[in-house]
Amino acid sequence: MDCRETQALLNAFHDGELPAAERARVEGHLRGCPECGALLADLARMDQAAGVPDPGPAYWDRFNARVMDRVGREADGPGVRVLRPKGGWMREQLRYLVPAAAAAALVVVIVHYGGMTPGVSTTARDGLVPGQAEMPRGLSPRPPAAPPAASERAAPDSAGERMAKAEPAPLVAKKPGGAAVARRLPSPVLTEERAAAVPREERDRLADRSPPEGNKEASRERAAPGSPPVTAADGMPPEMQAERKGTAGATAMKREQQAAGTAKPASGTRMAKEPSAEAPPAVSLASAAPRSASPCDLARTLAERERIRDAETAQRACLAGDLDAPSREKGLVFLAELLDRQERFSEADAVIAEVEKQYPQSRPLDLYRQQRLTVQKEPKAVPVTR
Amino acid sequence: MSADLDEEKDERLAALAAGGDRGAFEALVTRHRQAVYRLCWSAAGNSADADDAAQETFVRVYRSLPSYDPARPFGPWLRKIAWNCGLTVRRGGNAGVPRVAEGDAPEAVDPAPGPEEAAAGNEERRRMEDALAALPAELRMVMVLRAVEGLSYAEIAQAAGIPAGTVMSRLSRARTRLLTALGGGS
Repeated sequence: MDCRETQALLNAFHDGELPAAERARVEGHLRGCPECGALLADLARMDQAAGVPDPGPAYWDRFNARVMDRVGREADGPGVRVLRPKGGWMREQLRYLVPAAAAAALVVVIVHYGGMTPGVSTTARDGLVPGQAEMPRGLSPRPPAAPPAASERAAPDSAGERMAKAEPAPLVAKKPGGAAVARRLPSPVLTEERAAAVPREERDRLADRSPPEGNKEASRERAAPGSPPVTAADGMPPEMQAERKGTAGATAMKREQQAAGTAKPASGTRMAKEPSAEAPPAVSLASAAPRSASPCDLARTLAERERIRDAETAQRACLAGDLDAPSREKGLVFLAELLDRQERFSEADAVIAEVEKQYPQSRPLDLYRQQRLTVQKEPKAVPVTR
Repeated sequence: MSADLDEEKDERLAALAAGGDRGAFEALVTRHRQAVYRLCWSAAGNSADADDAAQETFVRVYRSLPSYDPARPFGPWLRKIAWNCGLTVRRGGNAGVPRVAEGDAPEAVDPAPGPEEAAAGNEERRRMEDALAALPAELRMVMVLRAVEGLSYAEIAQAAGIPAGTVMSRLSRARTRLLTALGGGS
């Protein structure tokens, strides 16, 4: 056995993982080769030095209590940081689904009875009415009162009937991941009047709005110090908290969600509500994406243009659609990436947790993690084999 | 924790905990918390994230106990959850950044005998921690599981969900990089 062969086996030899015959051969070589002997000594020295920094007895003294506290909260009711709420999500879902379903019904009715109203029909063809995309199969909720403009075209009850019969819609409620993600931020779901009145403008704004300042401010506001971290920071040693300062503000998922619905200037809901407040004059969508682009394509295009917030809105609309499992898996990972890029780590974590739950051993997730490992901080890293 | 629980096997404790026995669950926490922390650290690469992940691990374990099959070994199941939590938490944007802060200095009693030797040993250990923290998580994981936890290749393979051959190659790569980082060895 020569040096090269020996060194190839040296790790396994050192770890006691070689079969007896090979072990004997390596030992034979080592007896006459100081160079390989020195390498073996290095391995031993390294293993001896290898250690994970221990946080110390004070940390361990509090560790159990912190775990048991969280477990207690979990057992007694929804925890502060519940990644996967155990109950009540359907009701919460319906809060969005009912108006969304009504919006879808309106689109159908308007197209059917009212002729082709340019704004509406174009949007419907492009699949960019988030409400329509959210329409659950087989779910026929009572349609809420239609807005005046729509009432002139069709009575609400006929809208409901038609929806129940004809709606081909993709499903959110039956897909836990999509449901969970959609639940976190209401942005892609428009109410009926918004869907009927502004989808075109909404999309144009998604494509052409120039957001950086507003978004940055919103991000800064969200990440502002002083927002109580919702994760396990309680009871953590001060130095660890200091170490985490870069991400502290971003952990407040609850606050995020509230902000998404109220204060974020870039959220779809806000944009639809107050089109004139932040948006520059709408320009044709063609400048950002092909007219027939799906929300999924639009999200990618916007992300490439570093318009991450808008990309997120589009991606959520994409995920609300009827995707096959692999597309949904990839789409969720992409959504997590978009959230990461906005430093909304808690939300990204929640999405990742959903991916892990729904797609064990998810390859797209692995790839994303590796991409972060090798690209983000370690440009010289040797690609990890799989 | 009662002495009785101390002597129970993991799988039995897990079954008790699944039935609502908080004492049994805490016994599991006490027994495994350091290994879980180290694994989370190896995934996250810093103490703050390791703390988050270790806490989250046990919460998820608690949540998942009803689906745990006591006929299967508890250790690999736990390690899998810990590793996933570590990776999830490290997504907080600190990936790969070795953050060996003041607070990270091991407080554990160093077994080295004399003060000078102790200082030298501490120094090497500190450098080793830096070098470990700088490894990609996948390499760090196999290194920690092997050198710190003393797991066999088969056990590491199970924890990481990779073939044993990959464990060997990653371990080799990890050690090569550590040796380089530590000055090329002797």
